[in-house]
Amino acid sequence: MSSESGAGHVRLFFREAIARALAEEMERDQRLLVLGQDVGSFGGAYKEFAGLHDRFGPERMRDTPVAEAAMVGLGVGAAAMGHRTLVGITYMDFMTLGLDPLVNYAAKARFKTAGRITVPLVVKTTAGAKGQGVAHSQCLESWLMGVPGLKVVAPSDPASAYGLLKSALREDGPVVFIDHKRLFPKSGEVPSTECFAPIGKAQLLREGSDVTIVTHGYMVHVAMEAARELEKAGVDAEVIDLRSLAPLDMDTVAASVGKTGVLATLEEGQVTCGVGSEVAFRVMERLGPVPAVRVGPLPAPVSSNPVLEAECLPDAGRLVDAVRRILSQAKPKGTA
Amino acid sequence: MLIRAFETRLMARPDHGFQLYSSGEEAVAVGVASAMRTGDRLLSGGRSIGAALACGLDSGQVMAELLGRIAGPNRGRAGRGHLSQPESGFFGAHAVVAGNLTIAAGAALACQRAGEGGVVFAIFGDGACGAGALHETLNVASLWKLPLVLVCSNNGLSISTPVSSGVAADPLSSLAGPFGIAHATVDGMDVEAVAAAASGFAADARSGGGPALLECRAERFTSHSSSTRETRPAEQVTAIRERCPIAHLSAELLRGAVLDETALAALEAETEAEIDRAIAFAEASPMPPAEEALHDVV
Repeated sequence: MSSESGAGHVRLFFREAIARALAEEMERDQRLLVLGQDVGSFGGAYKEFAGLHDRFGPERMRDTPVAEAAMVGLGVGAAAMGHRTLVGITYMDFMTLGLDPLVNYAAKARFKTAGRITVPLVVKTTAGAKGQGVAHSQCLESWLMGVPGLKVVAPSDPASAYGLLKSALREDGPVVFIDHKRLFPKSGEVPSTECFAPIGKAQLLREGSDVTIVTHGYMVHVAMEAARELEKAGVDAEVIDLRSLAPLDMDTVAASVGKTGVLATLEEGQVTCGVGSEVAFRVMERLGPVPAVRVGPLPAPVSSNPVLEAECLPDAGRLVDAVRRILSQAKPKGTA
Repeated sequence: MLIRAFETRLMARPDHGFQLYSSGEEAVAVGVASAMRTGDRLLSGGRSIGAALACGLDSGQVMAELLGRIAGPNRGRAGRGHLSQPESGFFGAHAVVAGNLTIAAGAALACQRAGEGGVVFAIFGDGACGAGALHETLNVASLWKLPLVLVCSNNGLSISTPVSSGVAADPLSSLAGPFGIAHATVDGMDVEAVAAAASGFAADARSGGGPALLECRAERFTSHSSSTRETRPAEQVTAIRERCPIAHLSAELLRGAVLDETALAALEAETEAEIDRAIAFAEASPMPPAEEALHDVV
């Protein structure tokens, strides 16, 4: 449970940070609705909605049938009528069932109506592998990054979950908020007073001079572990948590790569047309050719078998190897 | 009469653009719109011209929108596929078959939450009846007693596929039965029948009685779209056009002495004059500046 930890911060579990952000926003906006499977008295798959049903009632914390197309469509329609809505899609794999109203209607509504209709909707979903197999493990965020009109954010810890969800719930248009199964056991410091994490702004988590590692979501923790390993080998890695995948904060990323001269990207989703591909190409559009490497899972489905799952997923060791390889190939800095 | 004249004149233009015409199905849109009150909303599929004009949108603005002019309600960006003017009750077209149904349910949820008696109507084609979105919508609308009147304008063909090959249920309104939703099938060429059924279902929805599914058996006088080839034999289309909903109503009104021939002719002349004004209004409006391609995106 939460506990005061001084200096204006409180220690919260990841799920508690989500519940706090929602509670504050539901208190502020009496229209705000939450729709999803088991979001009511059950409190959400990860207890991230715990306490909200008792506080705000079943009308606002509304359990839905298992029907993602209808769930997203209901949220889009209510939001388009001015009733801000958060739709909880338990696992990101099931977003595929609800993409039509999100991609074909919500993302286009403001443009196609010349601003007469906006869709203040947040779709919150949980990505990532944790032993549940090929259709309960996927990270599909890069699919959404190229949809004009959609914003996409991915927290990596309780503070960013709280701040990004607060910001997402104040947006005029649709936002997809992607958390991760393996973030839920984590706790962290969250400011005691209300605050917001700006959408479109990355966070520099670790300063370094030899290589820039760009990542998001749970993989931030893997990147930090790899940075500690690299430090032992004499490599000083800078780590950037993107937080916002659409829009991308290329100013922060390009400034870092301009300094280190080498880019490594890390993601749990597929690298083909992935977040890293997009980041790397945009960096090179700004800076010209830069040694770069993408690290991600194997190009394979994620099995529930623990041996196969572990083999498929990227880990710190794989990132360390990739960074050392790219550094050995790159010219030493300062020798143009 | 306005819808028919509007579409007939639009079709005749070389710059008509890509359109799905409502000709033949006017009575469905007009009958449903007659059941609407202030605060109600209507969503249509891509066959939207009839629905928009029936909601009372200005014919000049609609013509401007369809011709891509900035005087359209959506500055010419939406076209008939996505035309909208929410403040007039026409919440909008959405040209994904069955794509408007879950959104209509969400709008109905907002009306229910607001507690002001608003009802949402959604018009869709028979082609949408095989889609999962309809079944998901029926289920949740029934569970939550949403103020939602679903109106299927069954013109018998999904582009070229007959409804008997596309949907197992017959009549289509029977799809609502297993969900415990009130339903009916009426003659969609008879505006009074459509209006009576829609008004009855709307009254129930308004008073908390929950949703309804109204199937209107209608006829499409043209091919699926302005760029789709006609699959029906010419003599069949001619025979279909004999069942004109406007001629049917006109005859009824003359028989009942509500209108005489002079008044009917005056009405027709006034309609043509309105279309003249609509076209002039649209033509006077420019196309959008190219930089609007990036406006209102995020």
